[in-house]
Amino acid sequence: MNAKERMDAAINLKPVDKVPNAPFTEAPVCQYFGSTFKASLLEGPEMLKAHMKSLEEFKFDWVMLGMGFIGGIIPEALDCQVSYPEDVFPIIKKTSVFSMEDIKRIAGKNMFTERMESFLEGIRLLKKELKDEVPIACEYISPFTIATRLRGTNEIMMDMYDNPELVHALQDAIVPLDIALGKALIDAGVDYIFYGADMECPILLSPKHYKEFVHEPTTKVCNELSRLGSKVLPHMCGDIVKTGIVDMLLKMDIHGIMPGNLTQEKVLDIRELKEKVKDQICIFDNINPNGPLLIGKPEEVAKETLMHLNRAKGITGYIFSTAGTSSPFTPKENYLTMDREVVNFQWK
Amino acid sequence: MSVTDILEAVVVFNKVAVVENVKIAIDSGISIDDILNKGLIGAMDVVGEKFSSGEIFVPEMLQAAKAMQEGLEVLKPHLESDALMEKGTVIIGTVKGDLHDIGKNLVTMMVEGAGFNVIDLGVDVDTEKFVSEAQAYNADVVCLSALLTTTMPVMAKTVEAFKEAGLKAKTIIGGAPVTNAYAQQIGADGFSDNAPGAVELIRKLVAA
Repeated sequence: MNAKERMDAAINLKPVDKVPNAPFTEAPVCQYFGSTFKASLLEGPEMLKAHMKSLEEFKFDWVMLGMGFIGGIIPEALDCQVSYPEDVFPIIKKTSVFSMEDIKRIAGKNMFTERMESFLEGIRLLKKELKDEVPIACEYISPFTIATRLRGTNEIMMDMYDNPELVHALQDAIVPLDIALGKALIDAGVDYIFYGADMECPILLSPKHYKEFVHEPTTKVCNELSRLGSKVLPHMCGDIVKTGIVDMLLKMDIHGIMPGNLTQEKVLDIRELKEKVKDQICIFDNINPNGPLLIGKPEEVAKETLMHLNRAKGITGYIFSTAGTSSPFTPKENYLTMDREVVNFQWK
Repeated sequence: MSVTDILEAVVVFNKVAVVENVKIAIDSGISIDDILNKGLIGAMDVVGEKFSSGEIFVPEMLQAAKAMQEGLEVLKPHLESDALMEKGTVIIGTVKGDLHDIGKNLVTMMVEGAGFNVIDLGVDVDTEKFVSEAQAYNADVVCLSALLTTTMPVMAKTVEAFKEAGLKAKTIIGGAPVTNAYAQQIGADGFSDNAPGAVELIRKLVAA
């Protein structure tokens, strides 16, 4: 099986020849192989170079992109003031939604800025190079999480009680824009939409608020992207099983779940998640990117990786991954150790 | 009317009732100290417990903190000038290169709610500013926040700077990518993964 066949098989709950290996690779890849961190996050030809070099050294089963897209390019296209430092992720300096009037302005925006086009060009270049051998996953964000970027997280969280109409109206305006972005990603060559539900996770929001504010716009976007032919893979931190969020996710046209951290130091036991989703969708594992992988020794990384793999052995629709963004400062020897353990693991 | 009414109004973030109850309590001659410590500060302890147990979430905690602040505004003219400083002074900020502030703001509200004097330096704060402000305010605790994995090394640099400066202030860290193991690795005096935990940690460090 090539990487695309292996990932597709796992997503479709079919047998695989070995464990699909798909950690949140982008930041380390840009750090290890990019001409600069910023360029490899954002600029077409530099993205291509960094990811192709990475595939020479690592045995990842996907190329993963999009942190600059969700952190900078989308908010900037929707009138936020964004800075792009050379060595860190883009930073939103000023939000863009202060009133209902601003929402009307946002709703009419053409999002396809020069920076957006350069990013999409990077995807097209990668697709041309990778063909159908290695799939491309791109980070993407929900209408609610975009709303927090545009309005400010504290403000949206306060609005949920003080001005709920604004939260609904802002997301209503964002939904068609978000779908248009998803379509552009798919057209450029993205195989898997890696649907980040960062700010609505059950660490931050109650299931009641999730249902009231988030479920409907999320369903519209996920269902449409799925209809357009992408595999939609939501990523969410917190205890999505105990809070019942996973039951709401399962009502959407999604193809897998990528559980994030429960806390900084704990991750969800994916056997609990498997018990819940059964054979409806695939599940991604969740080795803690802030644990031994970031600050431990290679032997500790090997031990933790094997613990996860052994726990998952025999699970259909299983894909090895990290619970969230890996730090660009993750020691390369640790990432190589994790990669080696996954590749050599006797799955059958 | 009792301080329990104030506490309960904060916990359900009924801002109008908080303000009204504080006014009535003052007029009724209830001790200002009790209104502050058993009513407003006590309420934020309850809010912290509810957050830690998953009973409430960030929007509710923000609302409760706002209700507490509105009650405090009514109370302030009646407080001794140092009443809010006697528990200790805490400096807080998000480290250089990081503009995320929700975690920092939650900690600020909870620590203020616990009766500490909090100096919020905002976001994108460089190491030198943390050190100079800690010196200027004779801070007891300095809280460093980061959300981005790219800015975690700045925490290490800042903790190191405090050690070199020989200040009495204890350094604690928090934020989405930060762990207790990382705190130990960089020599910070503590770590918390949530705002109520930060309050408990600060209380322990100040009492030590």
